[in-house]
Amino acid sequence: MIKKPFLLLLPVIVLSLLFVIGILNGLIQSFGIMPSLGLTVPTLKYYSEIFSRPDLLSAIGMSLYITLLSSIGAVVLGVFICALLVMSGKAKGRTLQLIKIPIAIPHTVVALFVILIFAQSGLLARVFYHLDIIASQDAFPALLYARNGLGIILAYIWKEVPFVVFFVVSIMANINTSLGEAAQNLGASRWRTFIDITLPLCMPSIKNAFLIIFAFSLGAYELPFLLGSTVPRALPVQAYIEYTHPDLLHRPYAMALNGILFIISFIIAFLYYRLLQHNVVKVNKS
Amino acid sequence: MKRRLSILLVLMLSLTLVLTGCSSSKKFDENASFDTLVSQAKGSTVTFYGWGGDDLRNNWLDNVVAPALKEKYNITLNRVPMDIDQILSKLSGEKQAGTTDGTIDLIWINGENFYSAKDKGYLYGPFTQKLPNYAKYIDQTAAENLRDFGYTIDGYEAPYGKAQMVMINDSAATPETPKNTAELLAYCKANKGKVTYPALPDFTGSAFVRSIICDIVGYEQFADMPADKATVKNAIQPAIDYLTELNPYLWREGKTFPATIAQVDNMFADNELVMTMSYEPYSAATKIANGTYKATATSFLFDKGMVGNTNYIAIAQNSPNKAGALVVVNEMISAEIQASQFSKLRSLPVVDYNKLSDDEKKLFDSVDLGQGSIPQDILLSKRVPEMPAKLIPIIEEIWLEEVVGK
Repeated sequence: MIKKPFLLLLPVIVLSLLFVIGILNGLIQSFGIMPSLGLTVPTLKYYSEIFSRPDLLSAIGMSLYITLLSSIGAVVLGVFICALLVMSGKAKGRTLQLIKIPIAIPHTVVALFVILIFAQSGLLARVFYHLDIIASQDAFPALLYARNGLGIILAYIWKEVPFVVFFVVSIMANINTSLGEAAQNLGASRWRTFIDITLPLCMPSIKNAFLIIFAFSLGAYELPFLLGSTVPRALPVQAYIEYTHPDLLHRPYAMALNGILFIISFIIAFLYYRLLQHNVVKVNKS
Repeated sequence: MKRRLSILLVLMLSLTLVLTGCSSSKKFDENASFDTLVSQAKGSTVTFYGWGGDDLRNNWLDNVVAPALKEKYNITLNRVPMDIDQILSKLSGEKQAGTTDGTIDLIWINGENFYSAKDKGYLYGPFTQKLPNYAKYIDQTAAENLRDFGYTIDGYEAPYGKAQMVMINDSAATPETPKNTAELLAYCKANKGKVTYPALPDFTGSAFVRSIICDIVGYEQFADMPADKATVKNAIQPAIDYLTELNPYLWREGKTFPATIAQVDNMFADNELVMTMSYEPYSAATKIANGTYKATATSFLFDKGMVGNTNYIAIAQNSPNKAGALVVVNEMISAEIQASQFSKLRSLPVVDYNKLSDDEKKLFDSVDLGQGSIPQDILLSKRVPEMPAKLIPIIEEIWLEEVVGK
């Protein structure tokens, strides 16, 4: 008889097996093994071609650029909002619920918002035009579909700031009430307390939040596809386009691009794990 | 309670494994008469995989075609909306696993994907000569029923509907409609920043670029051109030069292009653009009817014509219900279904008008095309055949390298 905990875990095990098999299958295909297409010899050709094709290389660069900028932006803004919430004593209750709303909104809908608001035919452009701030709607700065990826970055920041807040605020509130009040009793100002006591102690969870949103936006496809420029494309968009290439022999390129995404995500997961370990050690020591 | 729940979970899991592991297989005789196939297909289910992004078509399949099949043959039509690349993946996966009784019976397919699927042995055939309606209604000598995007059909797919590239403008905003690429350039200059097309490999964007190429260098030379980048580039160079010349007058000066035709349509409806395009020749009429476009939207063509294609239905090599699949395909190319498709979806019929009886002709003649659209005979007279499928990815690659932002 199988032990009960294992029995109960069975669905999870089966599901994660499917997941792992999916990833392995993709990786195997990225090395050019797809027997149904007559590809049986393992090769690194697809990876080496990616690294020699300028459009694919620039896709990797574009993805890292968008992800890095949006994640940093989201973390800075998110922590700032946390600080305001904590210091004004609103870290619990209705304000926080309000901030959570963007988490529930799907990325495609966010893309739509961004288009409606920031496009040259969008809300802002129209308002500015009617207020005579700009001469024509076209004079509104090109935020969307541009090489600078600003539209995508804005959309990611909007979507991810609440996540950072959600992730960090309760820890920050606790630290602020326990150690922070102690510091203030000893004469430190609120901002001084925040920067010297609260923020450093929150750092692990802030870093965690950063890594999670970084990994997520690196792999996400909708926003760069809907708001991005034709060239350079983001990595997941490029992978999707290679995947939908009618010639099935292009599949290994898509899988190799996914492989690169996988490797970057794996590194992030590793960093995340190390960070957690580090925290455990710290907690144990203290 | 907990124990019961866990037992239930295990049961459900094993049940799904058993259910997916086996499926019913019927004996299928290649040489049986059509009547035998019909009686064999009785009471069976036919799965129809195809793009599900068009609500109008989905409704039509579910509420017109499926009930007709049920009533006439007692066949249940199970429509599975799936993108063609995923259908091909599924077929490739099933083939890799050696599944002889697959999950897919019919596939809505054409062009490059047909080439891929037939080339890789995913399709069943030849089957069209088994269908009574094929002989009765289809012009078997027409180029479009012999080749699909330049690739010989050999009876591996039956025509389903016809599409053709048209351009659409708002006649209230810009009454003039360019009749060729030279006039289009002047039009773009006059409406600087208000014309664009979807970035390739968007299906419509790609067809637009091919229409431009055909207007500038013709289409004849492409029929048997080898799929070699240097050859293709050499042949389309004048068109590439033209597209680059167009860039400065396009939306965002051609530095970037909208990713999808849906976005171009939105921008047109928003007055951000003065022109859009469609591979559905009657899209202006349907979009005026549903309020997306203004009533002043009109379709227009180049004088030399624009690319058109036929889309088809194929049968999977490992289809578990080939008899049912054949009966359904036969019904799809009947005069009634084709006329209903023409009237409900404005999809150009594939049946040969001259082969129809007088009563059947009336079914087609009575269709009101709606506003802003071009009559069928003019469309068909200005129809340029699609290029061989294998050239298209090469053109898309060249466009990306030579045109965007240049």
